[in-house]
Amino acid sequence: MRRRARSLALGAASLALLLAAPSFLERGTLNDIWNVAFAVILASAWNLLGGFAGQISIGYSAFIGIGAYTTALLALKGVNPYATLPLAALLGAAFSFVVGLPTFRLRGPYFTIATIGVSEAVRVVATGVAFTGGSSGLRMPAGSFDFTRNYASMVILAVAVVSLSAWVKNSPFGRALAAIRQDIDAAESLGVHSARYKLLAHALSAAIVAVAGSLFAINFQYISPGSVFDFRLSLSIVLMPIVGGLGTVGGPVLGALLFGYLQIKLLSSPALRDSYLFIYGGMLIAVMLFEPKGLLGLFHRLRRAAGRAVSRPVPDAG
Amino acid sequence: MKDLVAILVNSLLAAGLYATMSYGLAVIYGVMRIINLAHAGILMLGAYATLTLYSRFGLDPFLSLAVVIPVFFGFGVLLYLTMVRRLPRSSSGASIESLLLLFGVWLVLQNLAYAIWTGDTQSILTGYTMKSLSVLGVRVGVPTVAVFAVSAASLVVLQVILRRTYLGRAIRAVTQNRDAALIAGVNADRISAVAFGIGTAFAGVAGSLLATMYAFTPDFGRSFLLKSFCIIVLAGMESVAGVAAGSFLLALLENVVGGYTSIPTSFQDALSFLLLVVALVAFPHGLLGAFGRSSLRRRSIP
Amino acid sequence: MRGNFRALRFLLAGILAAAGPGTLWAADGVIKIGAVLPVTGKESKIGGAYKQATEYAVKEVNDAGGVKVGGKPMKIELTLLDDTSDAAKSAQLVEQLITQQKVDAVIGGYGSQLVQAQSVVPERYGVPYVSGGAGARGIYGRSKWVFGTLSPVDVLSSTQMDFLSALVAAGKLKKPLKIALVTENTEHGKDYAQGVHDYLKAHPGGFSLAVEESFELYTPDFKPLLTRVAAARADLFMADAHLEDFIAMHRTYTQMGLYHQMVTYGARGADAAGRKALGPATDYIFASGWWSDLLPYPQVKAFNAKWKAATGSEPQWYHALAYETVRALVVALSHAASLKPEAIRSALAAVDLKDSILPGGELKYSSSGQAILPFVVTQNKPADKVDIVWPLSSKTGDPVAPVPKS
Repeated sequence: MRRRARSLALGAASLALLLAAPSFLERGTLNDIWNVAFAVILASAWNLLGGFAGQISIGYSAFIGIGAYTTALLALKGVNPYATLPLAALLGAAFSFVVGLPTFRLRGPYFTIATIGVSEAVRVVATGVAFTGGSSGLRMPAGSFDFTRNYASMVILAVAVVSLSAWVKNSPFGRALAAIRQDIDAAESLGVHSARYKLLAHALSAAIVAVAGSLFAINFQYISPGSVFDFRLSLSIVLMPIVGGLGTVGGPVLGALLFGYLQIKLLSSPALRDSYLFIYGGMLIAVMLFEPKGLLGLFHRLRRAAGRAVSRPVPDAG
Repeated sequence: MKDLVAILVNSLLAAGLYATMSYGLAVIYGVMRIINLAHAGILMLGAYATLTLYSRFGLDPFLSLAVVIPVFFGFGVLLYLTMVRRLPRSSSGASIESLLLLFGVWLVLQNLAYAIWTGDTQSILTGYTMKSLSVLGVRVGVPTVAVFAVSAASLVVLQVILRRTYLGRAIRAVTQNRDAALIAGVNADRISAVAFGIGTAFAGVAGSLLATMYAFTPDFGRSFLLKSFCIIVLAGMESVAGVAAGSFLLALLENVVGGYTSIPTSFQDALSFLLLVVALVAFPHGLLGAFGRSSLRRRSIP
Repeated sequence: MRGNFRALRFLLAGILAAAGPGTLWAADGVIKIGAVLPVTGKESKIGGAYKQATEYAVKEVNDAGGVKVGGKPMKIELTLLDDTSDAAKSAQLVEQLITQQKVDAVIGGYGSQLVQAQSVVPERYGVPYVSGGAGARGIYGRSKWVFGTLSPVDVLSSTQMDFLSALVAAGKLKKPLKIALVTENTEHGKDYAQGVHDYLKAHPGGFSLAVEESFELYTPDFKPLLTRVAAARADLFMADAHLEDFIAMHRTYTQMGLYHQMVTYGARGADAAGRKALGPATDYIFASGWWSDLLPYPQVKAFNAKWKAATGSEPQWYHALAYETVRALVVALSHAASLKPEAIRSALAAVDLKDSILPGGELKYSSSGQAILPFVVTQNKPADKVDIVWPLSSKTGDPVAPVPKS
């Protein structure tokens, strides 16, 4: 109970701090926080399916795009952008069913390949179809930009998603997902309807990611298939939780912070800007070869090696 | 009628290249059940290697294959020995760790290419690049025909190796049933290394051939990778013939859609992606040939 | 719950880390100008040229003592970043120039798809922005802060239609003529197609569309598209493409042995990079450009001479546009009362260069922020020669129509 109260207090404190930030931090720094919050939302949401349930999808940019385009198209018709968020979430979840129903029958890597195929197909279609503005994309209507509101909504969503993630992990739903991740056949034989739980986790995370996409459109004012349906975006979404620690709550956040920080540093230094693939790829290789539990797993391993008593065993990340 | 001939000729010529490109992926999957995402990066490197050999040493792209094949074979074996072998073998078939590992390798290769050659678009223009000749009344570019010739030759050589040599038989054995092959005395580890080398060499060759036809940047390779997946999923792992048939099928579909429907040509890539998903879901055992008879190798959940 | 705790600790740490070092304050006596161009990547061939010309123009100004703003001479400090031809990065870099380097004005990039992404940023921060590298009409008129030196692409295509009509009137081409229209599916391409459509509507009879197709930017394989074009059996081939697509498309066009009476790729064809890549296959292609070194104005001859002296080669249209954009900004700065954003902006809106090297000899920005100037039509001739064939007042040679069969 005390621990719960402590983390609730910490959660509230950090939210308050973040919301107060615009009064003492510079616009450039607030932009950076916005980017990091965006990464945290994507990584944590993806982790619901990818980490907790163990289904690795490299096609999440499709949901970002769905959210972004829903908001942009409706805003251009005169709807208040923030009013479009629920619809974006709904459409994201709906599309996740369209993708999930046929593909969740596939195991492991085959599912992954299928998701790559789907998201690339979505990108090509979005580029070719007229109502999405084609390759040239869409611009939000002029005068709708309010950075303080964008910043606040992003930060609130980030804290909310992390909290949701923690709640799910310790709930019966989360335990069912963990069972699916560890051995799907065993889980099925124990009465866990794997398809149903996978679809649910997929829908939940897709809805969150779609809302993040909407907020992206609202903040950046200009979206195009290349920017929101980008394969590299799908890739970074996957890398963050894997490098940080798949299947944990803190892992995706850690990964998001790391990548967010890298993005900021990379953008300003030309030499590093050209090496970001090297860094991402290198980290992925290192994690796969040496520490599949990611940075968080490494941290725990070092702690145990240092001999300090750990009150709770590290959850098995599969 | 003339249109039909044109479609058939173009499909056949394209199929040769697709087959070479896909076989590299097929052999690695068949022997090790590993999905090699670095395949795209190797295609790309093959293109750049050819570019460098052409621009620095004036070596004709087709002649440079003599250099590309051994170098890429060696590179593949090296990749296997240093990284792939260290991964834990998953009992249920393909593992997500190997997929992600090779993904990482792909990214690193891309960065390497950006660093060495920059992101500028490159293309190889030889004396015969703009020339064309007539095949069965259809005008096709000289590079396209040459590429087909090389692809066909390489697949014939491959078929000979698979059927007539011990190595070939060993590869087929491990592909069909690894455990039985081990019992029969096959050194699966060495075969895996060789298979990885062969797969990489084929990807390198495909990349070289692609470089004679298309312009490329380090980002090159992704859509070809997905097409290759589509083909090997349709074709099953057993035979060169399966890959060839799958390649022809895809090429034919693309040309028919392009020629007889008014679906915008920019949607053609989407076609192969969707076909990939459909193939994965609807044909768990591949279209031709047996694939994963053992229930442990199931691709889908009952 | 432990995970939750740890996660939030990380979030806090993240904020504190992000609240990094303070930013620099603007140094006195220096005008800070930022530019983001595709120096590497798919648009590098022309993007690199823009960089070269922009730096040359700035150096020329600084060597002459700088710009007098409100009576005080100030040097220009140019920060030029490479967006690697990536639209999202392009926008982020412009934002970075504004929030961190605190530039007084931004020179936009090259390529309508990149500039489009960049152009939403100036509105958010209220910073003057002028681009010499984007002709798509949709970019302008949305924000008072955004200016462009390139004239609209729909005027580009309607100028080409005027030229073709003149060829018909001169008896070189015979009506009725069917057009195969191929455009990239971007604003640039859409504007081009719009120009053709509007012309056909305004001048019925004579021209019609046999086939209209669009393609994705940087398509690797043009065979399917050109197969459809071949099947349409049109008389004229009109395409709008950026450099890499032009090279890939025309290579396939030549390999397939296609023939049309007149061939154009919009603004492409005459540029040195294209001719180098394709050789004699580019002969007789006509193009409608924003500038040509053959323009018969004294200021153009002077520009050609000094460019040749400085770089050793002939200037291309992209060098001229980049140079003239900087010049327009510099003139605006010299008329501005101060370096405040609104002062620079209104000076830009009022700028009127009567000795411009651009076609028409005068550069000023229209009410949408985009300059609307006439185009020249050039045609490639064998042995690397190029002639201006339209408008007739500036022509240096006769158009060859129809194109001779090879």
